[in-house]
This record gives sequence, structure tokens and C-alpha cells, in this order.
Amino acid sequence: MADVLEVRNLSKSFDGIVVARNVDLALQSGRVLGLIGPNGAGKTSLFNLICGVVRPDAGSVLLDGAPLDGKTFHQRVRGGLSRTWQHTRLFPSLPVIDNLLIGTHDYPGEQLVNVLFGTARLKVHDKVARDKARGLLGEMGLAGVADDLVSDLPYGQQKLVGVARALMGDAKCLLLDEPMAGVEGQAYAAMQRVVREVAESGVAVCVVEHNIAFVHDLCDEGVFMFSGAIMARGSVAELTRDPQLTELYFGH
Amino acid sequence: MTIAFYTAFVVVQGLDWPAWVAFIAMLATTLTASYALERIGFEALRARGVSVMFVFVFTFMVSEFVAYLAALIFGTWPQTIFPTMFWPVTLVGDIAVSAWDLPAIGSTAAALAAYFAFMRFTRTGQFMIGVADNPDLAALYGIDKRKIFLVTMLISGAFVCLGMFLYGTRAQVLPETGLSLMLFAVAATIMGGIGKVAGAAIAALILAVIQNASILMIPSEWQGFLLYVFLFFAIVFFPSGLRLPRRRSRFSTATRDMPPAAPPAESQA
Amino acid sequence: MEYLYGIVIIVGLYVILATSFNLIIGYGGLVSIAHPVFFALGAYTSAILSRDFHVPVLLAMLAGFFVAFIASIALALPSLRVSGDYLMIASIGFQLGVLELIKNVRFTGGPGGFTNIPPFLIREFGRESYVLLVLAVVAAVILLIWWIARSDYGRAMSAMRDDELAFASVGRDAMWMKIAIFGLGSGLAGVAGGLYAHYFRFITPEQFEILQSSAILTMVVVGGMRTTWGPVVGALLLQALPQAISFLQLPPSVLGPIQGLLFTGLVLVFMFFRPQGLVPAKDVWRAAPAAKAREAR
Repeated sequence: MADVLEVRNLSKSFDGIVVARNVDLALQSGRVLGLIGPNGAGKTSLFNLICGVVRPDAGSVLLDGAPLDGKTFHQRVRGGLSRTWQHTRLFPSLPVIDNLLIGTHDYPGEQLVNVLFGTARLKVHDKVARDKARGLLGEMGLAGVADDLVSDLPYGQQKLVGVARALMGDAKCLLLDEPMAGVEGQAYAAMQRVVREVAESGVAVCVVEHNIAFVHDLCDEGVFMFSGAIMARGSVAELTRDPQLTELYFGH
Repeated sequence: MTIAFYTAFVVVQGLDWPAWVAFIAMLATTLTASYALERIGFEALRARGVSVMFVFVFTFMVSEFVAYLAALIFGTWPQTIFPTMFWPVTLVGDIAVSAWDLPAIGSTAAALAAYFAFMRFTRTGQFMIGVADNPDLAALYGIDKRKIFLVTMLISGAFVCLGMFLYGTRAQVLPETGLSLMLFAVAATIMGGIGKVAGAAIAALILAVIQNASILMIPSEWQGFLLYVFLFFAIVFFPSGLRLPRRRSRFSTATRDMPPAAPPAESQA
Repeated sequence: MEYLYGIVIIVGLYVILATSFNLIIGYGGLVSIAHPVFFALGAYTSAILSRDFHVPVLLAMLAGFFVAFIASIALALPSLRVSGDYLMIASIGFQLGVLELIKNVRFTGGPGGFTNIPPFLIREFGRESYVLLVLAVVAAVILLIWWIARSDYGRAMSAMRDDELAFASVGRDAMWMKIAIFGLGSGLAGVAGGLYAHYFRFITPEQFEILQSSAILTMVVVGGMRTTWGPVVGALLLQALPQAISFLQLPPSVLGPIQGLLFTGLVLVFMFFRPQGLVPAKDVWRAAPAAKAREAR
């Protein structure tokens, strides 16, 4: 199976601190990869490097075989990459549904010309986008909050909205940054279900997580990072049983 | 800058007191103003968590306010600190050296030397570099950010006094002069690299030499325009400043042994 | 009566300037000091083309729009490649620099100004027609900005202002949006310039100095950023003020600084005590009801 996302020999350091050390990674369609490790291991940094928020010192990232070097973050997203944030980063001035509507792959409202001369096109796009957004919210059990403000939602629901927003753009590859942090109860169950369904629909998923139970249930395989380097790969069960890794994780 | 200049102007031409009194008066008014600006203005804005845009509009409005006040009180025609701009000139070989040049260069060099020494060797100086580098980390180390910001504003005020005293004794000043000189300062800071201690000084020197030497090639009215071209050039090609070899300050070795913290997620590709 | 027409036109032009500046700074979140310079570019372009090159006035005014538009993109593109903060600084340089240029070049009439600008409409249809023209353009500009702010573009602008990184993470291009906003806003300032030039028929560089930047900024900040009517209220109010001051019969050397003090002082007061302005903007962007109704079908 071809790799949807490939990370080759990625390295980066900031002022002498190494955040990525020759990282090799591959994400395949329909599979969920768990990225685990202690705080400061470089997991979120790796996401930043893949997204182009930070430029690597060496190495490259390829999406569907095509190198992403030099592409800006939003260009990579247009190319099929998508990510969520550890602290949601939803738009506080937009109601929930508008947070989703702004995340469609094509957004004709981004061009002033369309707004001035192409209102028909905008209307068509808007209808399709709204149907999709309502659908996603419904799947997550959030149909009732579509017109609410983000700040009115409990944290768990906010994180779900964040994932929904990331899914509006027909991404091929989804990076989830600690989707379960601070989430419990119904939202937790919904998130599990969503991630499973997304993977089954063919998207390559990578999850950074501290919640080992979540990683256990969802991830097909795992990668353990420490101090910017990948220390071990394998099934989640193998990784969690390895005494050396456990010491690194807890003993630090 | 405006406050500094007009204070000196009032003392020398208005009150007819000697130059050194003028300088002390300049320091008094300018440092008071810097203090007030930092404590009343910037601190309040910082506490409110306002955007950069807000702060910029604020500083712009304050500068304009002071400029208009000066225009109201002193009028809009050009002034100098001493009644005349001309200084006795002696010929050294083929070069005309005026009585202004040596004290000016001397005091500038002394001020810069004192500044570099301060930044390099005193605790406060090192703290300033730390706060500039990473304010939150510096706060964790126990550095008083408030005090550092105030010290920064006061040092900057002192430099402004020296600068305006030298400028005002050699060239004409209008109420708007502060704004165009500030533009020069900003261009030099960008080219020299924001945060690099020596950068702005070196860049300013180079820019000033180029601007004044340009008289050999372009008519004098265009010299002002040349500056704006340089500013544009600086922003487009050197947004992070010309690369000088980075000196390892005491702080970077200290943090290397700490567990790697998450790098700034906001940095642009 | 003629005096009144002059005031109505000036107020109208400032409404255009304030509304277009509100697009840039309020909706776009871009700080720029250079709005007066685009006003100037529109005025000078239209004046020079119609007087010295015998271009029909309407075409010349249109050219004024394009020159302002293109010049603003020339300023915004390299600056925004770096960041919005750099646009701030570059705009100062641009404002001061282009005015220097105008003052030193012969074909603009230099510091003395450009005279004998061809009139438009007045000879054929009387002054009233010009007033109607200006009012029509004012209405069109207000409508345009209102339309843009309510549309999907308004949603995008709101998101962009909230969190630019998250904005990029959903695949939106902040840089080009900002450039477009800056271009349109500045182009509209150019239109105001053309309208100014052909009524008052005499322009000098002094009319486009930094005092204007403070004035326009005051109108938007005091009136209320990110609202349709805020800049209008601001413009009306802040044109009434100088008129009131001029009744005091002060000498011109004092008038200028007093106006400046008033404008900057007002902004500072409002920034500290009522930053949202006289007409406060809503915190939340909402789509038009028609869009929601579409879903039900």
C-alpha cells in the first residue's frame, strides 16, 4: 500500500535543542498511527514540521509521493493534509457551524471577485457545505449546538468541533494532536467512534496521545518518541510492555 | 525626541543658560516622559492584553500629539538648539574638521561603549537580553519584567537625549522631525536585526554614511526619499536583519540542559 | 449655498475615506498610515491625466482608482510576505516617501500644488449634480463594504482576525486576502481623490499629510471599527469639529496643530475609555438569515 504521508530523515534543532533527530515515518490510508512519548519528546514539533509551520534543518515530507518542501501551511492543507490542535484553536467570533463552513476544501468566499460577481456560485457552495457540516455535527451528537458560540460549549464538545472542522476539507491525511486531553464521558465515546470511522473511510490518521487506553483501542501501531528521536516502533501492546520505554516515559 | 529637543531649545535660547544645563534638563524631561509612557501607557495596555496594532496606533497617536503640541507652542519653522548651526572649522590636511565633530564622535563612542559594557557585564543588561529573548522563561528565572521594561525605556530615553542634543546643534529640527528620524531608526533596527545589541548601531552608521554620501550623486531634495527606498529595501530583503555571527550569551547554555520545551508554534514557515 | 455644497462634498469624501479605511484596519486587521497617500495618488492621477493629457474626466478618475489600487499592492505584497507588522512600518515610509516624491517632481506642480484642474459636470449641470454624484458614490461605497462584511468573505475576515494560524490550518490564504482588502480599500481612497480634485480644482501635497492619517484613524476608532455606520458617524462628527473650530477665527498656524491635538487626543481618550467606539461592533459574525433558510429546503 502506498504511503499517503512520508517523513524522511527529518531533523530540526532550535538553538542547540534538538526537537527532531532523523525522523522517519510513514502513514498509510485507513490506518491509525499512535505517536507516544513523554512531554517534550518532540511530538507536537513533528506535527509542526510536517505542516510547514516550522522549517526543518534537513529531511523532507512527502504527501502522496510529492515533496512538500517550500509549501506554506495552507498550501499543504489544500493538498490534503489536515490537523487539529492541542488547544482546539476554534474561531471565537464564529458560531459552531461557521467554524466548520470556513474549513471546506474550496472556499469561494475567499476571493473578493466571487463575492462581488459570483453570488450564485457562493450560494450553491454554501448549501453543499451546510449539509456536510450538519451531517458531521450530527454524527458527533452535536446537531443541537450548530448555532451556538464556541465559548458556550463544554471543552469536550469543543474538541469534537475541532475535529469536525478538520474533516470538512476532504483530507487524505489527518493529524490529531491530543484529541482526548480533557475529554470524558459522551464526548470521549464520540471521539473514539469518529476517529475509527475516519480511518475506515480511507484517511491516513496519526494521533499524538498520552491517554494509553485510547491509543490501545484505536491505533493499529505505535511509535515511541523521546528527545526528538524515534526510539521504537511496533504494536501498541509491544510498546507499552517494553520496560525500557516505560522507564523513559515515567522515569524522566 | 520632540520633547528632548524642545527642552534643550527652551533652556538655551529661551532661558539663555549654558549647554550642560540644557542637557540635564533634557534628561529630566525626557526620562520623566519615558517613565510616564511606560508606567501609565504601556503597562496599562499590556495588562489589557491588547493587540500589536492597538499598541502601534497608541504610540503613533502619542507621538503625533506631542508633535502637534510642539507645533502649537513653538511654531512650525525650523529651529536649532544654539542660535547658530555653524561651528569653527579647522583644516587637517585636506579635510575640514569642525569643532563639533570631535565632541560629537567622542560622546557617541563613549555612550555606545557604556551601553555595550552595561549589556554585557551588568546583571540588568543580561536580564534585558533574557527578557527580549523569551520573556516568560525570564520571568520563571525570577527576573522582574516590569523593572526591565522600565529600564529599557529609560536607557532609550537617555540615548534620545544625546542623539537630539547632537542633532539639534548641527541641523534644523521641526516638530515633525521626530517622525522621520524614527523611521530611520526603525530601518536601522530592522537591518541590524531586532534584538541584536550591536546591530542597530552598525546599521545606522552604514545607512547614515550612505545617505549623506549620496549627495555626491543625487540632488539634496532626494536624500529624504532615498531613506524611504532603503527602508523598503530593508524590509523586503532583510526582514530578520543581516546575519552577524551569533554570540552565545550565558542563557543559551543554561537552557540546553533543560528538557526540550515545545518550540514556538507560532513561527511562520 | 455654494459653501454648503463644499461642506457636504468634503464630509461625503471623508465618509468614503473612513469607510474604506475601516475595511483595511477594522475588518482586515491591517494597520496602515498610508491611506492619505492613496487619496493623493487618486487625486493627482486624475488631475494630471485630465489637465495635461486631455483624458476625459470620468476615465481619469477611473485611472485614479487603478493607480491607487496598483500602488497599494506594490506596497502590500512585499510587506505582507513578511508580516502585518512590517506593513505598518512600510506604510509610514510609503506615506512620507511618496509625498516627498510629489513635492519634488515637476509634473505634479511640486510643493506649490497642481492648479486648474478641469471641472466635471458643474458647467453643464450645475453644482448640485456634483453633490449628487458624490452622495451616490458614498452610498455605493457604504453598500459595498456592508455587502462584503456580511458575505462569506466577512466570515473569512472574522476568522482571519481571530487566529491566523488556525485560519491557515483550514486551508485559507491569509496573505492574499489581506492584499485584496488593502488594494480595494486604497483604491476607494483613490476614487475619493479623483472626486476631490475635480470639484476643488486645486490640490497641494499638504492636504495629504500625516494629519490626514490621524484624522481618518480618529474617525474610524471613535466612530466604531468593524461597523457599517461607525465610520460614517465618525466622519460626520469629526468634520463638524474643524468647522466649529474655524468659527473661532484662529490664525492658520495655530489651527493646524489644534486640529491635530484634537484628533490625536480624542483617539487616545477613546482608546483608553471606550475602545469599541461610538457604534460598537458585535463580537460575533453571523451569516445572513437567507443562508440558514437555504438549509431547510
